[in-house]
Order: sequence, then C-alpha cells, then structure tokens
Amino acid sequence: MRSGSRYGLLALGAALVIAYPWLAPNTYLLYAGVLTVMYAVLATSWNLLGGFTGYVSLGHSAFFGLGAYGTGLLVTKADWPWIPALLVSALVVAVFAGLVGVAAVRVRGASFVIVSIALVSMMNLLVQGWRSLTGGSTGLRVPTPFRELNRGESHLVFFYLFLVLLVLALLTWWVISRSRFGSGLKAIREDEDKAESLGVPTTAFKVVAYGLSALFVALAGGLYALWFRSLDPIFVFSILVGSYMVLMSLLGGVRHLFGPLLGALIVAPAGEYFLVALGESQIHLTATGVLLVLVVMFMPEGIIPAVAKLVRRFRPPEASIREETAEQRSKEAVA
Amino acid sequence: MTLLLQGLALGILTGGLYALLSSGLSLYFGVMRVVMVAHPAFLIVAAYLTFTLHTGLGLDPLLTLPITVPVFFVAGVAIQRLLIARLASDTMAMMSVLLTFGLALIIEGLLGTFYTGSYRSISMEYATQSLALGPVRLPYDRIIAFAVAAVTLGVLFAVLRMTRFGQALRATIQHPEAARLIGIKTERVTGYGFGVGLATAAVGGAVLALITPFFPAAHWVWIGKLMAIIVVGGLGSVQGAAVAALMLGVIESLVLVTVDATWATMMFYIFLFLTLVVRPQGFFGGRLAQRF
Repeated sequence: MRSGSRYGLLALGAALVIAYPWLAPNTYLLYAGVLTVMYAVLATSWNLLGGFTGYVSLGHSAFFGLGAYGTGLLVTKADWPWIPALLVSALVVAVFAGLVGVAAVRVRGASFVIVSIALVSMMNLLVQGWRSLTGGSTGLRVPTPFRELNRGESHLVFFYLFLVLLVLALLTWWVISRSRFGSGLKAIREDEDKAESLGVPTTAFKVVAYGLSALFVALAGGLYALWFRSLDPIFVFSILVGSYMVLMSLLGGVRHLFGPLLGALIVAPAGEYFLVALGESQIHLTATGVLLVLVVMFMPEGIIPAVAKLVRRFRPPEASIREETAEQRSKEAVA
Repeated sequence: MTLLLQGLALGILTGGLYALLSSGLSLYFGVMRVVMVAHPAFLIVAAYLTFTLHTGLGLDPLLTLPITVPVFFVAGVAIQRLLIARLASDTMAMMSVLLTFGLALIIEGLLGTFYTGSYRSISMEYATQSLALGPVRLPYDRIIAFAVAAVTLGVLFAVLRMTRFGQALRATIQHPEAARLIGIKTERVTGYGFGVGLATAAVGGAVLALITPFFPAAHWVWIGKLMAIIVVGGLGSVQGAAVAALMLGVIESLVLVTVDATWATMMFYIFLFLTLVVRPQGFFGGRLAQRF
C-alpha cells in the first residue's frame, strides 16, 4: 500500500473510532464499543510480549485481574482518588510481573505456557480465598469516580479513557519495534540461542517486555474496575480473557502494529453477538475454540499477512524492507 | 497425629490417582513434545460418558471402560493424525498448546450445552463406606481409585517395556530420526502413542466420576494441578510424573488437614514455581525438558 493511502486509511479509521459513541444508536451498543476497545488494549498489550518475543502467555488475565482488584481495593478500602489508585496499582502489578517473569522466562515454549496458566489459577485462588480483603467469590463493589453521570455518559467517558490507553499501547509497540530493544526482542523470537550468543541480554529483555506488557494490561484492568463497578473473580481471572488476547492477536497478525486491534474488532463484537443471540448457553466457548483451532491450523500468521499476500500478488514487486522470518528468507535464498 | 496419619494415607491414595491422570500428559510430551492442554477436558468428557452409561444402561462405572477406552484411543489417534501432525514443526511447541487449548474450549462449550453447567456425580453403594485401619479411615472409593490407577499404570508400564509396540514407542521418544532409520514407522507410532495417552484419560475420567462431583468447567482446576505435576516431575518422564504426583498428593492432603483447601491447591503452584527457579528441567526429567 502506498504510504499516502495508508495514512488516509489510518485517519479515516481513527475518525470513525472517535465518532463511534455519537454514532451508536443505543446504550447497549455503546457498552459493546467500550468492551471492544478494552479488548483491543488487552490484545495490543499482550502483543508487546507475544508479538516481539514469541512467548505465548495464556495467563495475562492474571495481570488484568490484579490491576482491577488493586485499583478497586485502593479506592474502596484506602479511599484513594481513582487516578493515583489506577497508576499505583498498575505499577505494582508491573513490578510483580517482572518478579514472576524472572522465574517464568527461564523456560521456553510449552513450559512457559504452563506457567502462565498456573499464574491465573493461583491469583484466582488467592483472591477467592482472601475473603476478608477481597470479598471472596461474591466479588468486590467499586464506586464509580463519576457519580454525577448516568450510565450512557459513563460509558462515553470510559470509551475515551480506554481509547487513550489504546493509543498509548500502540505508540509503545511502535516505538519499541523501531528500537534496539525491539530488535533484540525479535532476535529472541527468531532464535533465542543465537541472539544470546550475539550478546543480546535475553533474560533482561524478556523480563522488561513481560513487565511492560503487564503494565498496560493492569491499567486496562484498573479502568475496567472503575467502569464496571463490580468485580467477579471468576471473570477477571478467567483463562478465557487471557485466551481472547491470544486469539485476537493471532487472528490479526502478531507481527503487525494493528494486528491485535484488528483481531479485537472481529472477536469482541462476535463474542458479544454470540452472547446475545445464544443467551446464557455455553456454546460461545465452542465458537471461540473453533475459531482458535481454525486460526492455528490455517492462518497462524494472521489476517494482515494473508491479505497483504493477496494484494501483493496483484501488483509489481516493491523494493522495500519487509519484515520476514529467518525461515522465509532462507527459503527465498534457496529459490 | 491421627489427623496427620489420615492425611498421609489419603494423600498416597490421591497421589496414585494423580499419577494416572498425568501419565497421558507425559506420553504426549514424550512422543511429540506437545503439551496437551485438552487432556483434562477429555477427563471430564470421560466422566460424563461414564455418567451417561451408568444412568442410561445401569452399568457399573468401571464396567463402562471396555466401551470408553477404545473410543478414546481412536479419538487420540485421530487428533494426532488430523490436527497436531499438520502443524508447522518450527512453531509446534506454541501452536500445539493453542490448538489443544481450542479443543478444550470446544469440549467445555459442548458439555455445557448438552449436560448444562450443574454438578453431576455418580454414587455407588460401595463408595460410601470406608475401611478402618486403626485410627485411620480410608473411603472405599479412594481405595478403588488407587487400585485402578495402579493397575492401569502397571499395564501401561508393561506395554512400554515388554511389547514391540512399547519398544518402538520408546525409541521414537528417545530419538525419532534414529528410530526411523531402523525401520520404525514413527508417524504411526506417534499416533498410537497419542491414542494410548487419551485412553488413559478414559480410565481416569471414569475413576474421577466415581470419587468426585464434576461439571463442564472442572477441567481448569485439573489443568493447573496436572501441569504442575508434570513440570515438577520433569516434562516427558512418565516415572518422574508418577513420583511427583505421589509427592504432591501427599503434600496437598497434609496441608488440607492442617491448613485449608485454598492452600492445599496452592501447593501445586508453589512447587511449580519453586521447580522453575531451582531446577527448570524438573526434578526427575532428562535433558530434553528444559528447551520445551
């Protein structure tokens, strides 16, 4: 795509998103919009780790839940104003994630995924077990910071708050992808042993990426607590939320800035639609599972590369630096 | 003191069951370096199948095994041949986790739709009594679970050690290329390995149905516990997983009688993280564990 039309498309998309709350015909669709932007934030933040390093974490909802409970508890039990509560709890979660990361990134591949799943279960147990502080399985009520607003107006405010967070997460991804740090992370993704032997401080890089990714997820969790006003440990610490982040990122394309966002735009509304159309039945889990299996089997690189390949087929080859895997490069070299 | 003895005895019985439930996971990892997240979901499927056969046909839970075990074996071979074998080999470790995770979601959704989300359980008359050994009381259902686990693991071990199939399977685990060179059809053996792994889930599910209530989302609890067991034991080591299962079973039960249920389950995760910090390849695992 030529850069002119690319910026045009970007501006159009941004304008549409900003105008969405005014276009949404009812409160429910506005609510669904907030949810979608929230998932876009989560997926983009997940991609700070998953996309750059290739470490697939199924347990990022642990940081979502911790951010949510941290903010909720600081607001309710310590009477903090919401902004410092949000920022402090997210920072604490990021530091905690860094500490967990030191243990977690010691192992690769499947073991790492196991650790990430274990982390969510652990946090879920802890929050449900610590009844006196968190209210256990009955959940935690969080007062809204905007008492004078009605439901629709509150959705509107949080739509833009999540949007700001989304822009921050995208900017962070973009800056990293152009930095030395980003190159190091990508080197880890392509071949960790070679990266290490070339002097990339792999452990430090992975831990920082893990913490940074957790920071944004925790911020989204904190906003969720303030927006939703009641926290259910089963939902905020569910592996399903974590798997949504993975599914959205994979579906859109983990190597692309807007991949997770695109995935969120597809999966989140689809999920909401399933919930409305099929009611309380559990079949939406099956739909999510089928989608995940299809993506893994047939489109592991995501929609963006698939479409780009299609577009490239109909235009003359261009001489620009593309991002490609070492494997692709060696295949091309052989051919 | 009696409490501790009781906890110890129950822990050993539960640990034996854990060894059975996690043996399939070790097999999958051994033959394909795949962490099969859907294994616990298949346990729950087996529990529901047992429940249906028990309530529908009046079969004893353990007599349903001749029906469920072959079905699960075929399903395991099919999953390996049709899905997992088709993944690109360089991203196999990650993608197979996501693939089997998707399978787990599919299963949970289907179970929730057909059986609803409420608890089910099978109660047999013999399961409600217990055996008194001095001050220690052992419920018969736990003893049966332990016995079934021991017999199944014994059969599995005998198959792996004494049959030609077992030799081929172990050769495939140890060195796939060398195994292929000496004429073992490794693809087929790997498929059968998966089948055997899933067949253990059929047995495990039947036993699970006998001793504990279950519901469609119950597999999440088991994912955490079983994964902790195979990591502590060392990925891919059947014996290591069995030792870790007994150890964690005893620890869980001792914490359960002295502290509470939350901390009892938490022990699995604590030992998981301890293992990663101290010895990432697991306490009984071989050299191949760390890289995966």
